Amino acid sequence: MGIEIPFDVANIGGPEAGGVAPPEVIGSYISSASRPLLVVGSELLRDGFFLDIAIGIGKKGIPLAATGHSIKGFVEKGYMENVYYYNLHELTNCLRDPNWKGLDGAGNYDFVIFYGIIYYYASQMLSCLKNFATDPLMRTVSIDRYYHPNARMSFTNIMPRMEEEYKEMLNKLVESIKG
Amino acid sequence: MEELKKGGIFTISDMSNVRINIGEVVEEEEEWEPMGPHPMPRIATLRNWDFKLLNRYKPFYAPVCDMCCLCTYGKCDLTGNKKGACGIRMDAQQARIVLLACLVGCSAHCGHGRHLLHDMINKFGRDVPIDFGPEVDIEAPLTRLVCGIKPKTIGDYDRVFSYIEEQIVQLADALHTGQEGSYMDFESKALHMGMLDSLNKEAADVIQIACYKLPSGFPGDGPDVPFVDVGIGTINTNNAVIIVIGHNVPPAADIGVYLTENGLDDKVELGGICCTAIDTTRVYHKAKIVSALGRQLRVLRAGIADVVVTDEQCIRADVLELCQRVHSPMIATNDKAMHGLVDRTDDDPDKIVDDLVSGRVPGVIILEPDQVGEVAVRTALEMDKKRRSLKFILSDDEFNYYVNDCILCGGCTLACPNGLPIGEANKSAAAGNIKPLADLFDICVGCGRCEQVCKKHIPIVDVMTKAAYPQLKEEKGRMRIGRGPIWDSEIREVGAPLVLGTIPGIIAPIGCGNYPNGTKDAWLIVKEFAERNYIVTLTGCMAIDCALWKDEDGKTIYEAHHGGFGGGGVMNIGSCVSNAHIHGAAIKVASIFAGRPLRGNYEEIADYILSRVGACGVAWGAMSQKAASIATGFNRLGVPAVVGPHGVKYRRAFMSRPDIKEDWKLIDASDGSEVYVEPGPQDLLVACETVEEALPMMAKLCFRPSDTDRGRSVKLTHYIDLNQKYLKTYPPDWHLFVRVASDLPLATRDVLLKKLEDEQDWKIDWKKKKIEAGPIRAYNPSFNPTNLERLIRGRK
Repeated sequence: MGIEIPFDVANIGGPEAGGVAPPEVIGSYISSASRPLLVVGSELLRDGFFLDIAIGIGKKGIPLAATGHSIKGFVEKGYMENVYYYNLHELTNCLRDPNWKGLDGAGNYDFVIFYGIIYYYASQMLSCLKNFATDPLMRTVSIDRYYHPNARMSFTNIMPRMEEEYKEMLNKLVESIKG
Repeated sequence: MEELKKGGIFTISDMSNVRINIGEVVEEEEEWEPMGPHPMPRIATLRNWDFKLLNRYKPFYAPVCDMCCLCTYGKCDLTGNKKGACGIRMDAQQARIVLLACLVGCSAHCGHGRHLLHDMINKFGRDVPIDFGPEVDIEAPLTRLVCGIKPKTIGDYDRVFSYIEEQIVQLADALHTGQEGSYMDFESKALHMGMLDSLNKEAADVIQIACYKLPSGFPGDGPDVPFVDVGIGTINTNNAVIIVIGHNVPPAADIGVYLTENGLDDKVELGGICCTAIDTTRVYHKAKIVSALGRQLRVLRAGIADVVVTDEQCIRADVLELCQRVHSPMIATNDKAMHGLVDRTDDDPDKIVDDLVSGRVPGVIILEPDQVGEVAVRTALEMDKKRRSLKFILSDDEFNYYVNDCILCGGCTLACPNGLPIGEANKSAAAGNIKPLADLFDICVGCGRCEQVCKKHIPIVDVMTKAAYPQLKEEKGRMRIGRGPIWDSEIREVGAPLVLGTIPGIIAPIGCGNYPNGTKDAWLIVKEFAERNYIVTLTGCMAIDCALWKDEDGKTIYEAHHGGFGGGGVMNIGSCVSNAHIHGAAIKVASIFAGRPLRGNYEEIADYILSRVGACGVAWGAMSQKAASIATGFNRLGVPAVVGPHGVKYRRAFMSRPDIKEDWKLIDASDGSEVYVEPGPQDLLVACETVEEALPMMAKLCFRPSDTDRGRSVKLTHYIDLNQKYLKTYPPDWHLFVRVASDLPLATRDVLLKKLEDEQDWKIDWKKKKIEAGPIRAYNPSFNPTNLERLIRGRK
């Protein structure tokens, strides 16, 4: 893990800031979850590749909460296997409650992966989970191209000119998640 | 004895050393309505109502900062809902910060209103009548509702502001270390502050309407108010140009008067930014609206102003520096925003003008509004001659130099609130394609943080403005001037269809321009709902921003729709303070249509609105503390609001849990029975990530338990259709809102019944086309929903 500045430079919450990690480490961390959830947002729709990555993770058995208007991409792609529409604010409101029944009625999740969500919106929701989803502890990671101090782990900041490198990181991440 | 009057002094004969000062003369009040249970509520008076709201719409916190640094015990790390040294937990600390934000917002409106009252009493006297013409009988619904006062003259607002000011101080007191410790009670206080804020706004607008004869309920007002030009391209820079910025209109009104009285209307352009712009056009119809708040920096940097006049609120803190950069003298007119200038109130206007024009001073303060007009106009005329040869838009060579100088370090993107890819747009421009850079202009919120971190000192704002300049020159929109109050006669017309649901709702786009993706979203929100026969009431920056865009026929949204408070109407209600009339419209529905008593009866009216009036605010670019208190004021009255993604930085939301059945228990006031209902409205404050998600969300938040089956079918039609249009799917929760087959849209009833049978396991009698089992509750047309036991009329 290294040290990075937040993607929005002033977004410094406090003493507990998450670390930067490479895709293989995050993939391995995700694999350690017993009940993970992938939460995706509308930035996913900017390129079909990113949607395919989400579907790739979904096919490894991790359910997807499609927030914002990202559900549109899954409908158009014809992949609705384990995809549920949810407003991110409302979803986070449920995630903070250990008694929530989950999207499938089988209970709350122990691990949440944020992906394709507007930076500051994701950051605030991660802040809620960091501060209030603590008993039992909910682990969080971001696999966006931003450093997210409110997630326990995320990638480093990746500028738009580094798009191809980012795509390669995502490919490695999917490969490293054990299905 | 002498006549008793306020401020009078009299002595009693034969009694030495006795002199009596008259503080207040209480006149016998007209018995216009029996007083309700809660006139001038104090902090704890409406706490039970607040807790009803807060127990269903539980506060949700997303801290921006995990620490507290308000006292010397700290800094304290509250991460993980830990307690600080004083004992406060993270959740309560967040609620405390929310209360602080609402305090700041409410104080801004209160300070504005009080300031306005002082100025108006000085100018016109205390006895200016509050007469809004034949169409408006309930002139001040919030004043009647909260204070139990029916104001007859502007002087009556002294009592109203005294009440608000006392409450604000008590609420501010609760913020101190060692006071409140419960997040629920902090939130109850924030709701109280929000209610006071709504009252402030109404007071301010009622006073300025009465004194300046702004549009209200006379012929030619209301739906028929005139149009005004909007946009940077509408400013005729061949004339001298005065730009007013802020929210308090008297100085700008004086400029209008001076122009008219001196025959200078056609020689000087009076344009405005933000709410002062809206209110100036209500006073002086030749004024123009240059832009909303989001473009303030760029309008100033473009150098079109020969003079800048500021009053209060939403003025950039670096306004003087910006003015100096383009040689625009600045006149500050309000003691709350003096910017280090010298107070020249009552100085000889000749000397002030000479000092400003010569450049001896960059600006002055003039605190007497009626002295501003002459100085501003004369200075503008002189400066126009001096500044005519100056160019502030970059030359082609300068532009090319800067875009080629960019090293793509990404610093600007990290500094940008929207994370815009500025470097990549520069790179495209360097290669000859300026479109990506020009396209960023509208998405940019105009903060200027990017420039401060640019390692190559590129004036990014100017570079972006240059790229977009061809479009900016043609930016010419139109909007109606602020109409002020909704007419009582309009409420009589739409009360029934609104409560029954056949007009599917009131959508109220309000507030600032901190949008995630530019001003066009504001236009899309208005267009989508107006075309679906919702009533759309706008105020403030969203009212301005949506006027910048045109349909395929070249019409702005205001030109394409009528301006009445009816289905399909698109109304500019006015500036931020005017959005109290949106509260007022909902209150009038309860009062005029349903005959509910108004006076000092906040709780009952809020309960009525929450259960029956399908209204939803949208503050898509909410930015300020005022927006926090405005939304909180709407929430206490039972009106939900949707905010854009930046709105999550307010830290707190109010969202329910439809899956927790007990949270959705209402009372049928007809017989006292308890009824489990569908989640309508599901949230009181919620953020959406994109406008595509927000549109169906707004439609959802218009469901109310009181909807008739016909009304519910209309609302369901739009909810499902908006989901299919923007999310390409059915909403996952649409079935929750179905009580009976006739709730379903006729055109798709069979399809929807089949989906209910297949996907929700509901029992359908296909011969009778009836739902036999499945819904949360059966449809009862006489259901009289309430949250208040005291309103039960009879027991089963």
